[in-house]
Amino acid sequence: MLSRVAESLFWMSRYFERAENTARFLDVNFNLLLDLNKITPIENPNYWVALILVTSDKDRFNNLYSEYSAQSVTDYLVFNKNNPNSIISSIGLARENARSIIESISSEMWEQVNNLYHYLQNITPQFVHNDPYSFYKEIKNASHLFQGITDNTFSHNEGWDFIQIAKYLERSDNIARLIDVKYHMLLSEAQSQPEIVEGSEDIIQWMAVLKSCSALEAFRKVYLSKIDPDNILQFLILNRTFPRSINFSVCAAEDALWRISGSSRHRYVNNADRLIGKIEAELSYTAMEDIYAKGLHTYLEDLEQRLVKVGEQVHLTYFAYHTPDIESSDIAEALPFTGVAGGRPNWSQAQQHQQQQ
Amino acid sequence: MSRFFERYEADTSHFFDEVIAPDGIPRSHYDKLLHRFGKFSIDDVKARREVVNIFFRNQGITFTVYGEEEGVERIFPFDLIPRVVPANEWHTIEKGLVQRITALNEFLYDIYHTQKILKDKIIPPELILGSQHFRREFVGVTPPLGVYIHVTGSDIIRDREGNYLVLEDNLRTPSGVSYMLQNRQAMKRAFPVLFDKYKIRPIENYPQELLRTLQEITPNSRREPNVVVLTPGIYNSAYFEHSFLARQMGVELTEGKDLVVNDNKVYTRTTRGLERVDVIYRRVDDAFLDPLVFRPDSKLGVAGLVNAYRKGNVTLANAIGTGVADDKVIYSFVPAIIKYYLGEDPILQNVPTWLASNPSDLKYILENLGSLVVKAANESGGYGMLIGPESTIEQQENFAELIVANPRNYIAQPTISLSRHPSFYNDTDLYGCHIDLRPYVLYGKTVTIVPGGLTRVALKRGSLVVNSSQGGGSKDTWVVDE
Repeated sequence: MLSRVAESLFWMSRYFERAENTARFLDVNFNLLLDLNKITPIENPNYWVALILVTSDKDRFNNLYSEYSAQSVTDYLVFNKNNPNSIISSIGLARENARSIIESISSEMWEQVNNLYHYLQNITPQFVHNDPYSFYKEIKNASHLFQGITDNTFSHNEGWDFIQIAKYLERSDNIARLIDVKYHMLLSEAQSQPEIVEGSEDIIQWMAVLKSCSALEAFRKVYLSKIDPDNILQFLILNRTFPRSINFSVCAAEDALWRISGSSRHRYVNNADRLIGKIEAELSYTAMEDIYAKGLHTYLEDLEQRLVKVGEQVHLTYFAYHTPDIESSDIAEALPFTGVAGGRPNWSQAQQHQQQQ
Repeated sequence: MSRFFERYEADTSHFFDEVIAPDGIPRSHYDKLLHRFGKFSIDDVKARREVVNIFFRNQGITFTVYGEEEGVERIFPFDLIPRVVPANEWHTIEKGLVQRITALNEFLYDIYHTQKILKDKIIPPELILGSQHFRREFVGVTPPLGVYIHVTGSDIIRDREGNYLVLEDNLRTPSGVSYMLQNRQAMKRAFPVLFDKYKIRPIENYPQELLRTLQEITPNSRREPNVVVLTPGIYNSAYFEHSFLARQMGVELTEGKDLVVNDNKVYTRTTRGLERVDVIYRRVDDAFLDPLVFRPDSKLGVAGLVNAYRKGNVTLANAIGTGVADDKVIYSFVPAIIKYYLGEDPILQNVPTWLASNPSDLKYILENLGSLVVKAANESGGYGMLIGPESTIEQQENFAELIVANPRNYIAQPTISLSRHPSFYNDTDLYGCHIDLRPYVLYGKTVTIVPGGLTRVALKRGSLVVNSSQGGGSKDTWVVDE
């Protein structure tokens, strides 16, 4: 498979998953506000600043907006085209990548990317404001539909594996950040209103995190009604069977990487396999006390960094074939949340406008 | 006359109408079509047009218009009324094109080898050697089978009397063949019954024929030559076509950055390492192919490609340097070229052409700007031209300055009233639109032409410009056996 095609499959999948997760981030907040609006005023900026903090986008946000509010943060994360990770940008980039490999993907996949793209062109901020639930649900469903169509119309060979790697790397990174939203909320609340942190609000916040991972029901089946932070963290980080846990996602990414390279347990053939194998092995032998010993926030941040490294190695192993002149710092910049357009720089656009006979 | 056609006004006193003869009677090869459409009301036809629109939208058949907001994609306008070409007329076109392409290929071989035609003073040498498309680096290089022009899309028009004339030979990277194929698919969806009534010659084998041609020109004896399509990228107006052809042929669609040259051999970069490439169907202009040889700022090309080509390790289709023969100045010499190499009279005539580089012609051009069509020698796509009767005095004065400053770059032709064909597009009524015809000619071991081609339609009422970039559309083209 052409390296460029593999790379575009990777980024198409990654941006689609990113859009879904951004919708989930915002959904956490709206869930919370619905549950908490008797206790906390809906415009409490603490809830909104957390969303910007976890996306590592504080500077870019502050250049564009003067305050953290439901309106500004929603605008930034959904509509803003200067934010490469906004839902509208992510889907635009997913589509751009799909368009560049339109002959390689199934026409049903293309139609689905295209449908969501055109749907978003017609959405107004007013619509999202009036009915956030429907809007985020639409994005999440569109993403599920895309993955379902992909599974059922696209051969499960190397190309499909690149789609899986991208999806699960992005997802595990995002779950870590989602849990971190809660951490940031606790932190900023402790600074402003120390008395709120304990008690039923805390549980409600954790339930919101579960809901936004579509995990509440699955969680209850395992832990019955014992909703306490320990169990929730254990479920979202270490559970091996729930598809929106970090451990599950890392295992799925590892499987896909191994299918491509032919690696197996105890024997790796490239650095991407080695790094993902290491993360997977550690997750398998980690208990909650190890995480607390390190500090939750530090643990998650460290995990995010290591996932970025896996992405870099996938790039070097499969996409950047025979171009050793690319420095890895450049690649790091083009990767997850800090990044810009994946894979496809626009410098050649003007030249591509050749006259056709 | 049928219900649907009865309001159509042919205006046969000013134009050659494809359907209605000057005596007002429909031409016999349109009988069945008129009969069938006769059963339709305007609303029936509109309903079918909706079927076609959905087909095009779902297939993502769009093109990009330059100069508008970035990324504007439009559905290529499609006119529902098919054009019917009777078998005997097609026979003439086919024979004429084979003759013309064979002669042009011999001309290119000669120009890049002994240049006999220049020594015999049939064409002034300065016109060739000074052409911006003449690639002196390739003198003495022989492509496989001696073939330069593997894919051609000649533009053919009809004059007042209905004679088929060649307007342009597009010998570099002609586009539009995907529309020819998609138009046929759309018509089959919308009017399946019509296909029972006519014996329409099939065109669906074009991608296989193209692949066979490309495999025939492989530079080596490897059993399964690796063929790839090279596109400038997704922002190119014809990107849809590039990906469509790659998919139909089952070969890789590549961009310049997918290819790498090592030891004068060309490879694709794949997730499993490098894979050898034998034949490149390139849809990138010469100037962008290789930054080491042509434009050093090209981001679309492959460094070292030209040397690999010169060494005979890879074949490019079309060959480098074919533009020298489809220059609009050289066009005027094509009848002489046919006579010189084949000893035959041309079967398809040229449109009369005045060369601004010729002093007496220049005088005539400048005196008659209001009635002539002036074209830049090396532009395409309807850019860089002046249509005298539709222009303002100011535009004419601007063009006069351009012509005097660089006479080698301009030619003029009389304004030909292209033939008209009833069309049904945005209007609620049928109306006559000017059309041309672009058949696609493949040249490997033999010359192959799929019957028909792309009929382009100037959909703006009264407009003479059929290019898609200038508001043109297209219609299906049927070569029918009686």
